[in-house]
Amino acid sequence: MKPLNTTYNNAGKATGESGFEVSGLECIRQDIILFQDISFKLQSGDLLQVDGVNGSGKSSLIRILAGLMQPSAGEISWRGRNISECRYQYQKEMSYIGHLNGVKNTLTADENLEIMKALSGSPQSIPLSEVLAKLELGGMDGITLNRLSAGQKRRVGLARLLVTNSKIWLLDEPFTSLDSSGKSVIEQLIVEHSLQGGITVFSTHQPVEIEGCSIRHIHLGKK
Amino acid sequence: MLTPWLSWICALLLIAGLYGGLIYAPPDYQQGESFRIIYVHVPSAWMSMFVYVLMATAGGVGLIWHIKIAEVFAKSCAPLGASFTFLALATGSLWGKPMWGTWWVWDARLTSELILLFLYLGYMALQSAFDDRRVAARASAVLALVGLINIPIIHYSVEWWSTLHQGATVTKLDAPSIHIDMLIPLLIMALAFKLYFFTIVLIRSRTEILEYECNSKWVSDLLNETEVSK
Amino acid sequence: MWRDIILAFRHRAELFNPLIFFTMVIVLFPFAFGSDIGLLNRVMPGTIWITALLATNLSLEGIFRSDFDDGSIEQIILSGYPLTLLVIAKITAHWCLTGLPLIIIAMFTAFLLSFPEHVLQTLFFTLLLGTPVLSLIGAVAVALTIGLRSGGMLLSLIILPLYMPILIFAMLAVENKMAGMSVDAELYFLSGMLVLAMTLAPLATASSLRIRMS
Repeated sequence: MKPLNTTYNNAGKATGESGFEVSGLECIRQDIILFQDISFKLQSGDLLQVDGVNGSGKSSLIRILAGLMQPSAGEISWRGRNISECRYQYQKEMSYIGHLNGVKNTLTADENLEIMKALSGSPQSIPLSEVLAKLELGGMDGITLNRLSAGQKRRVGLARLLVTNSKIWLLDEPFTSLDSSGKSVIEQLIVEHSLQGGITVFSTHQPVEIEGCSIRHIHLGKK
Repeated sequence: MLTPWLSWICALLLIAGLYGGLIYAPPDYQQGESFRIIYVHVPSAWMSMFVYVLMATAGGVGLIWHIKIAEVFAKSCAPLGASFTFLALATGSLWGKPMWGTWWVWDARLTSELILLFLYLGYMALQSAFDDRRVAARASAVLALVGLINIPIIHYSVEWWSTLHQGATVTKLDAPSIHIDMLIPLLIMALAFKLYFFTIVLIRSRTEILEYECNSKWVSDLLNETEVSK
Repeated sequence: MWRDIILAFRHRAELFNPLIFFTMVIVLFPFAFGSDIGLLNRVMPGTIWITALLATNLSLEGIFRSDFDDGSIEQIILSGYPLTLLVIAKITAHWCLTGLPLIIIAMFTAFLLSFPEHVLQTLFFTLLLGTPVLSLIGAVAVALTIGLRSGGMLLSLIILPLYMPILIFAMLAVENKMAGMSVDAELYFLSGMLVLAMTLAPLATASSLRIRMS
């Protein structure tokens, strides 16, 4: 594990047209400035961890990056275009997992994955059973999610990442309610994604063990 | 800057209009003295519609171009519009008692005015239900626009449903069925109401903007300045 | 859309609640007005319509409620498909699950209460044209109020004024029919409103959802 020095305001990596670029981002919620002047550039294979205490705006930052929320200032561009201009195209290449899993409790894991697949519209690469096996969710045919534990539901939620096959992953506290093996599965997924040239931005307050690629950090809140 | 000027002109016009309406204009040959209530009723009824359209337009502008001032303006409009609507309803009902012998008639214009009041109230309720100002402004702007599309539909549906009200008396500009001595104070009053609205809306918007921007630099500069000048 | 229908079937109780509510309120009216058939026949269409309004109003929150609670709505917004289309699917599902059964029950109860047949037909058409408009306009209001404190109350407050024209025209049509007059104008007007709502409401709903999620 070799975290680079805390990067803030322009990591200074050269980006081509293909990168993910954020400049001067500012977020004001209920008259309180959460963060100001956040800028960074991410390229293929980059990993960015967002740190910060509760209420420092981690979730807001990730929601803004996903295009769910409008920043009060600043802009985000993907492949050289502002994400609000190419909304659908950006969304097709991006997966966002928030605090809520976005899964239906009254459906089984299989059915949930089917919905995710249909919504993402991506050509399927891995069979669903393989996805479930990868997340240690095998052998649960016909069981609806409301009979599963919170950690298992979280895994189903995170399965979206594998089903949708997108380049950018935006994960808000991906490790909540996961046990240690679940956590290492996800860490492994993030590393693989990064090695395949994907971009991951995630927020967490837990120590993360990621080997094989470098993480950059952004720190929100009190400086 | 404009506010004091506007409020003075408004006060003058209001006095002139009231004088003209209450003292100068001759009593109506049919309705006697009680017709004088139209000097409040008609302008407020006009304003109630006008303010709604203005509010929805400002909301739409704020929604599309993300202009804060428009959002603030729309928000400031709502309570005023609601009070004009209420005033129109109340005066109409006061006038209806001697004229029609009842406080309330289920007639087209009264009913659509009442629905308009409900629309205003819904708008204000929605506005206040959000914690975040910007979200509140944009959400209620959508509602205002939906309401705007509905206003003509509501109006015609109610009209179709029943018509008891006397026809419009001022819109026939070439041959107004209202005497000129009555008309002039009425128009003055309408103008006074309009100015009153703009004065209040400006004051409200200013307060609102100050609250809105309490983080930004120019507000704190402004505050410091006033403290220094004290 | 199929997803919604499947989901709804997993929540059978919730699905039937508005319908049971609808039937019960209609049954309440004879108790209030007495069992005089002539009087009942006069108030029946109004009763059916007002109850349909209220039942739709109650069931509306279901369009987005569960999606909002479990975060699916975020995924729907970010799915990369035009949100308007997805919204249309959801509204259609809602109408199929509440509007359609509601019409059937309304016809059935009206039939049981020996409502004159030619008027029944008109009532059927007004409901057929009117209930989708209720779902469409309702979706906008739900999208705006979902997840708010006292959202349900607020929803009614916002929505009922917008429902008034539909109620008015539906009732006019039924009354005209009873008086033996033509009902074409009213039905055309209702269709007009349906077309208008179909074009504008999904757009407004989609943008409201986006605003709500930010």
